[in-house]
Amino acid sequence: MQTELWLLSVPIIIWVLIFCYYPMYGITMSFVNYVPGKPIWQCEFVGLKWFIDFLTNPSFGLLLRNTLAMSLLNIIFGFPAPIIFALLLNEIGNRHAKKFIQTVSYLPHFISWVVAASIVYLLLSNEGIINVILVQWGITHKPIPFLSKGEYYWIIYTIINIWKSVGWSSIIYLSAIAGIDEQLYQAGAIDGLGRLGMAWYITIPSIAPTIVVLWILGIGGILNAGFEQHLLLGNPMTQKYWDVIDTYSYRYGVQQGFYSMGTAVGLFKSVIGFFLVILTNKISKKLFDLSII
Amino acid sequence: MKQAFYIKRTIAGTIFDILNALFMTVFVFLMVYPFINLLALSFNDGVDAVKGGIYFWPRKFSLASYQYMLKNPKLIRGTFVSIMRVIVGTATGLLGSALLGYIVSCRHFYGRRFMRVLFIITMYFGGGLIPTYLLMLRLGLSNTFHVYWIPGIFSAYYMLLISSYIQNLPESLFESARIDGASELRTFIQIALPLSVPVLACIAVYIGVGQWNSWFDVSLYSKDGKWDNLQIILNRLLNQAAALENIMEQQRLYEEMRRITPQTVRAATTMIVTLPIIFIYPFFQKYFISGITLGAVKG
Repeated sequence: MQTELWLLSVPIIIWVLIFCYYPMYGITMSFVNYVPGKPIWQCEFVGLKWFIDFLTNPSFGLLLRNTLAMSLLNIIFGFPAPIIFALLLNEIGNRHAKKFIQTVSYLPHFISWVVAASIVYLLLSNEGIINVILVQWGITHKPIPFLSKGEYYWIIYTIINIWKSVGWSSIIYLSAIAGIDEQLYQAGAIDGLGRLGMAWYITIPSIAPTIVVLWILGIGGILNAGFEQHLLLGNPMTQKYWDVIDTYSYRYGVQQGFYSMGTAVGLFKSVIGFFLVILTNKISKKLFDLSII
Repeated sequence: MKQAFYIKRTIAGTIFDILNALFMTVFVFLMVYPFINLLALSFNDGVDAVKGGIYFWPRKFSLASYQYMLKNPKLIRGTFVSIMRVIVGTATGLLGSALLGYIVSCRHFYGRRFMRVLFIITMYFGGGLIPTYLLMLRLGLSNTFHVYWIPGIFSAYYMLLISSYIQNLPESLFESARIDGASELRTFIQIALPLSVPVLACIAVYIGVGQWNSWFDVSLYSKDGKWDNLQIILNRLLNQAAALENIMEQQRLYEEMRRITPQTVRAATTMIVTLPIIFIYPFFQKYFISGITLGAVKG
């Protein structure tokens, strides 16, 4: 039986070595001047050259600004949205209505970002429905070039992100709310709490640990400000507002063939991101005695 | 559910209920309306649609956009690739992760811990985009269909979901099969697989939706366009210039294509890409949810 299980395991081990561990070894190319077709260890060692190049590059400031701006917008608006939605949905009395609203709210999560981008294009283009309404109602004289003016990009991205994720992210809060002991509410009623009081003194404190854990995860992932979304929603005219570290690494590494540079940029982001998660976890352990790793 | 009997009814509470119902109506509208608008646009005459003002219903009904798609060999090929991705990707990904999950939950297997750790490491560390990309090129997987399913056969996350499910099954079921002389592979196929259908159904939905929706790997690896799927074709249509060029080519060929525009063609393509998800969605909803709670248990 041992032999048979080992025999079944061997192809799996080979697969994981090739597809998961070999790319990890490939990261070392960020310390050499990689030339395609040559083994990494034979390439010229350049130390931290790529990292220094990246950090001293004038576009680094721009990338950081865009990353932080979109992450902060997402934390300020995208984070509370599912909590508020879950609390409000919890107050809906009719079980069927509740179920229906919930079902509809997940739908955008399952459509691809390509479709989401397509929807944004159709709604916001010059002949799109939003501009038509704005002009017809006399709010503006000319259609607003939402898609070609970078100033609008962060807001559009934040809104579409919330649209796509609010329902799905609320599941975890709704299941936390469902787990609250009914007796707490009964005790609250005896103590004279109204509905608002129950939400404030019972529901919210009960889901607070969930909120804190997700908040920590959100802060730890602050460098993840989207990737494929920007490749789909962005265009050359708005690039100054959507270019983030990931898209930069993709553009240089894959599209222009600066493999070492691109890998170094990706590694830089992963390492900082890793320490951010560790750090936020430490802080939460100290403050709330909650750990996620 | 009626409101619990012990909650006081107040005027403020009723006003809140009305406002809340209103809010939820607006919310549902916002979630659904983009799709309705797309549907209306996709059935509208293209030249007429440019004038704008199509909200819920096509103003000048036309099937030209869909006819364009039916006559476009690229789109038909793309549909085929998308469907193949879902079938092959889901079948292999499901079987692979199920086998792996079974192996790491065999209590008598000495290599169990080793395999588990080997995969859990991959959840936290990875090579990132460029080393993976170069690997696929070196393996000769670019411009092939295999690049869509081979890298996804085994997954550490699904391994954990499946093995935690199998470990909760009564061990005696597996014992009796082994005592009867069944091989491990046979125990896996005849005992473990049928018993884990609930968790497998949920994972199948995840993989299937992921396969249907993916476009980035296609943009990376399908350089010659032979294995383009629907998503990437839609993505290219979003580029105005490319869309116009495509459409004008068709207009030269077919008289009835005179009245399509990039806008309506985009709407129709988006609809074709979205409809399968919308249709299977109500049926698979319960599996999505069970998946998220399984994941939450695992941490």
